[in-house]
Amino acid sequence: MKPIDIPTFQPQLKVLSREQALAIHTAALKILEEIGFKMEHPGALEMLANAGCQISDDWVRLPGHLVEEALSSAPRQIDLYDHKGKKAMPLTNGNHFYGTGSDATFTLDLETGERRRAILKDVANFAKLVDGLENIAFAMSMANPEDVPVEDIYVYVFAEMVKNTNKPIVFIADSGRDIAKIYKMACLVAGGEDKLRSKPFILNYSEAISPLHFPKNVMEKLIFCAKKKIPLCLPSGSNAGGGAPVTLAGAMALGIAENLAGLVVHQLAGKGSPFLFGPNVSVLDMKSTVVSYGCPEWSLTQAALADMRDEIYGLPIWAFAGASDAKVMDAQAGAEAMFSILSAMLSRCNLIHDVGFLEYGSTSSLEMVTMVNELVAMSRFFAEGIPVNNETLALEALERVISGGPGSIFLTDDHTFKYFMQAQFLPKLLDRSRYDSWEEAGATDLYKRCNIEARRILSEHQVEPKPAEVLQGIAGVLQGH
Amino acid sequence: MNEFEALAQAVIKGDIKTAVAETQRALDGGSEAKSILDKGLIAAMDEVGDRYSKGLIFVPQMLRSAKTMQECMKLLQPLFQEGDVTSKGKVLIGTVKGDLHDIGKNLVGMMMGGAGFDITDLGVDIPPEKFVQKIQELEPDIVCMSALLSTTMPSMSRTIEAMQKAGVRDKVKVMIGGAPVTEKYAREIKADSYASDAGSAVSKAKELLGAL
Repeated sequence: MKPIDIPTFQPQLKVLSREQALAIHTAALKILEEIGFKMEHPGALEMLANAGCQISDDWVRLPGHLVEEALSSAPRQIDLYDHKGKKAMPLTNGNHFYGTGSDATFTLDLETGERRRAILKDVANFAKLVDGLENIAFAMSMANPEDVPVEDIYVYVFAEMVKNTNKPIVFIADSGRDIAKIYKMACLVAGGEDKLRSKPFILNYSEAISPLHFPKNVMEKLIFCAKKKIPLCLPSGSNAGGGAPVTLAGAMALGIAENLAGLVVHQLAGKGSPFLFGPNVSVLDMKSTVVSYGCPEWSLTQAALADMRDEIYGLPIWAFAGASDAKVMDAQAGAEAMFSILSAMLSRCNLIHDVGFLEYGSTSSLEMVTMVNELVAMSRFFAEGIPVNNETLALEALERVISGGPGSIFLTDDHTFKYFMQAQFLPKLLDRSRYDSWEEAGATDLYKRCNIEARRILSEHQVEPKPAEVLQGIAGVLQGH
Repeated sequence: MNEFEALAQAVIKGDIKTAVAETQRALDGGSEAKSILDKGLIAAMDEVGDRYSKGLIFVPQMLRSAKTMQECMKLLQPLFQEGDVTSKGKVLIGTVKGDLHDIGKNLVGMMMGGAGFDITDLGVDIPPEKFVQKIQELEPDIVCMSALLSTTMPSMSRTIEAMQKAGVRDKVKVMIGGAPVTEKYAREIKADSYASDAGSAVSKAKELLGAL
């Protein structure tokens, strides 16, 4: 038989035509040129003025050509490394990486199942769990702990993450003051400024305020990262009906405009520094006024953004998935998590955060992160498509079984033994056992199984510890040295 | 609300044109401003609030009704008699020092306005001393503070301390809210009330003033 060599088609989701993408982009440029934005950082205002923006007080109108220049100088690939300098997340093309979120006020207690205020120990647990889950690529704090000094809350959670994972970290800071402390710790971990710069394991998440408002403290962080070449993203909350128009196209145009304005300042402050593109465009729920983490709109707008990346921007993008508005890890949580996980993957989003959130991002759940780990594996199996070649078409195996006489079945054929692990998705937590065995094993639901698995990982998984001098240095930064 | 049924229905529907026309018609027909307010507008807004809390209508519909009411109020305002109680209470609202996020605060202000409170919106990033100064100047019944970031939450407690120092803390009720704020935090900083969303801000405010 002649060998068949066909590339495997990767299933993909496309939600915008080129014409639609260009129209949204044009609207974004129009927002910057004609409406303008409020910039409260004097240094940024000066850079923008020198670059040719029209400025009155703190209101800026930005010509489109500056956007084009910024887009062409920002790198098209951002590589994030683990804490030892090994490449972990090449953010480019359609590569996808899932990770946790930040700043949840509450967490579901692993022992009691109750929702309670988050503490620093929770940050450690989430980081450790991320470290032990093969499909979760990066860590965020998952908590605003109540047991640390609030003015240094982001410094404490960063230190806690560093101690409990070696995977890349997406971090939050409040202003130029605490980001300098966090940077100091990151340098200790990486082994110096140069090493951190060439092989960054951190990415800063900062937010402008929709509509069109760039506060001073936010721009301090952006300029800091641009100068130090620390990768950064700047999604504003241009949520449909909240910070932005209720219609998704308008909300996207606004969010993109805000990102482009941020990108221009960023590239003026540090030409060629890495900028992860993309707004957060969810919806403000019209009954509860929460920003939804389980809605189809957010998945749709980030799929649209991925199309715009392919058509126009070329920069890796920021996205969300694996979260829910449900208050407990129930069927709603599973449905909403899977909807966003699969659609983010099929639309080829790059850095995908917020896995493990319940209650529209207010509550974190270790069980939910554990479930998402499995759902990512399931989605990945789907997204890899169907390899078609002589071995997978398996006519020879069929011939053997047919001609093998009575008792000859595929299950005993060598072809099955050789390929079953890759030919099928083998779930670990999703239950396919027969009823009786399920009952005998305790008749557990997925939440319970995820709870057991999360506990197992937290008790068994060993995080490679940081060297003593690094830990000492971190303690020093926390003590204000 | 029979005699103002058409007005009330227009407010409930958010039909500004009809509501304003009905208000004018009621005035032309000799009705008193106070009675149009109480039996027409407030009664309608109570119904709107009730429908919202039952999940029968959405926020934009409720805000539209509030806007409709405000348009009608423009006709009534100059006609109120001295001594007419036209407000459920005076409310001062703002985001605390360091916090620039105002969507939630604006929403609370509008919902409370729609429910008949007299709102003074101080805006965003309001330092403790400004809150104190405005309390002294306007003598509100309730002070509402909002924070979206956990890093700005301590400003709430500092504002309450400033109120204590200035001797005005006991003259007002303090209500706080915002994404990271909890009931427990409200107790810790000795606020009088915590509201988890705009709808409950209205009912908590009513409760607070009932207790005054």
